[in-house]
Amino acid sequence: MKKQLYEDLPNFKRNKTPVKKTVGQIIYIIVGTILSLIFLFPIIYMLATSTKSESAYAASAGSLAMFLPDFANLGEAAKNYGNVFSNYGIWRYAVNSFTYAAIVIVLNILVNGLAGYVMAKLRFPGKRFLSFMIIFLIVVPVETSIIPLYSIVKIMLGLKNTMSVLGVILPATISIFNVFLFMQFFGNIPQEYEEAARIDGANTLGVFFKVILPLSKPIVATVAVFCFIGVWNDYLWPSMILPYASEGQWPLYPIQSALTTIQSIQGITTGEIMASLIVTSIPIFVIYVLAQKYIVQGFGTAGLKM
Amino acid sequence: MTGSALIIAAVFVAGFVGIAIYDIATSRRRKEKYRFGTVATAYLMLIPALVLAFLFVLLPILYSLGYAFTDYNLLKPNNIKYVGFDQFKKVFEEIGEKGTLYHALINTLVFVVGVVPLQIGLALLLALFVNKPLKGSKIFKVCFFAPVVISLSVTSFLWLQILSPSESGLLNSLLGIFGAEPHDWLRDPATAMPCIIVLSAWQGCGYQMLIFLSGLTNIRQELYEAASLDGAGAWRKFTLVTWPGLRSTFIYIIITVFIGACRILTQPMLMTGYQNHTVTLSYYMYQQGYSYRHVGYSSAVALLMTIVIGTVTLIQRRAFREKN
Repeated sequence: MKKQLYEDLPNFKRNKTPVKKTVGQIIYIIVGTILSLIFLFPIIYMLATSTKSESAYAASAGSLAMFLPDFANLGEAAKNYGNVFSNYGIWRYAVNSFTYAAIVIVLNILVNGLAGYVMAKLRFPGKRFLSFMIIFLIVVPVETSIIPLYSIVKIMLGLKNTMSVLGVILPATISIFNVFLFMQFFGNIPQEYEEAARIDGANTLGVFFKVILPLSKPIVATVAVFCFIGVWNDYLWPSMILPYASEGQWPLYPIQSALTTIQSIQGITTGEIMASLIVTSIPIFVIYVLAQKYIVQGFGTAGLKM
Repeated sequence: MTGSALIIAAVFVAGFVGIAIYDIATSRRRKEKYRFGTVATAYLMLIPALVLAFLFVLLPILYSLGYAFTDYNLLKPNNIKYVGFDQFKKVFEEIGEKGTLYHALINTLVFVVGVVPLQIGLALLLALFVNKPLKGSKIFKVCFFAPVVISLSVTSFLWLQILSPSESGLLNSLLGIFGAEPHDWLRDPATAMPCIIVLSAWQGCGYQMLIFLSGLTNIRQELYEAASLDGAGAWRKFTLVTWPGLRSTFIYIIITVFIGACRILTQPMLMTGYQNHTVTLSYYMYQQGYSYRHVGYSSAVALLMTIVIGTVTLIQRRAFREKN
């Protein structure tokens, strides 16, 4: 009876003959490849150029060779990348960025996680005031508060010279939206887990570290990944507040800020510029590959902002 | 400055204490019991977040409102005078006289009008393409997403080379094959903003593609099958099933892309510098507030911009909600 019904359906899922399907697949691959090439050509060009000396780059202009690495002189590639690391010292800026990112990730999870935990699980007078503030600060759209922030960090708190590193780190450790995320996530953890730990003699802080955080790995990972991307990719704010020791010396700069200064060094070649851009992009690329799952989750949580 | 911060802090502490006392007073009626130990731990655990949020979230917001009514100059932080609406008057004068702010306004408008449809349209097309259950779709998805991974500053420097005015620049040398003369894409007012629009859409649309994709996977497959049964073609399936199913995703995307586009700053800053033909509102505010130190004036521009963007966002939300 059921089969009969299926047979009677007109054009339902059976209108595609194998041949048609194969043709469709081939067209799909061709169109997809063309689109991919349109999307990837700047990146391919960047990779290819990073292997070339200035003269090889000029020679390749206007030909397909612009998109191909200089296989004949692979030594040039080593030279470009070597210069970026040794002469322009990009490794030092990368270490700065990694350090800032590591500190921000730990503090961000601690500060916002603790606040989220208190808001989700503990009873205290004045809670409604804080809930209201959280929603208010998330909803209110503010166009660039970067200049008031600058005057707070520089003039009110007086963070100068080496202390201005605190100005890079501290504002990045608080995120009202992350407090909100943690609050939502912790709120869904059943009370029984906490009670069991309390019977074993854990105090509130112990419950947070031994029960709540381990149960919240997905949200912790998502926050950590977005913190890393945020700190690594930020260039304007650090360039504004970090000092330079002397002309051409920025010992505290993170990598993106340093990139803007490296570009303007006299005599830097196109190949070296491209190599510096690639070195800067690699950690983010690795993060995207390793932490795909959490990044997609992050997209899901971004929807909550509405 | 520190004085005003202390006053604001006092107001908030007073508000908090007031509500806390009210909570304690009404706790018996609400059958809520506060334990001293828990309350003390709660406050202690909140302190770091409260202090940081006050200093780096709340205070900047309030200051950016307040500074707009003062003549605050970064070089004279101890001499701030209230000037009423003078800064706003200056803003409208600057626009009226077709000064830099006028150009910033026009350029931002051009950018928003160009990039919002381009980026969202591309993202939607790519999402529909990648959503096909055919071989290769996963690889294509990764390819389309790749530019998102590159930061805005790297993107700007990369395209600076691509659009390089010399003969060996990528675009010029490729056009040179067809006999075109080398062109200074970023210095020519006619081509600079379009170039920035294209590279911004290129960099950003992979992100919206993923969000559209998650919206597409939430549309139930039976709806498509039902539409097929009714003899609907690809276009009718799109207008009857896909589009309504994507509506809430679309509202989210259009608002976030719109707000992001209004804030454009990195690309003109790194690619052309402070030029009349590419300056944008955010760049103008940064230049006035940071480089020229006129915080009061810059804050007035920021406040007006917040009001305009907030209003447009509200209108967008209303417009889409009413159709539901």
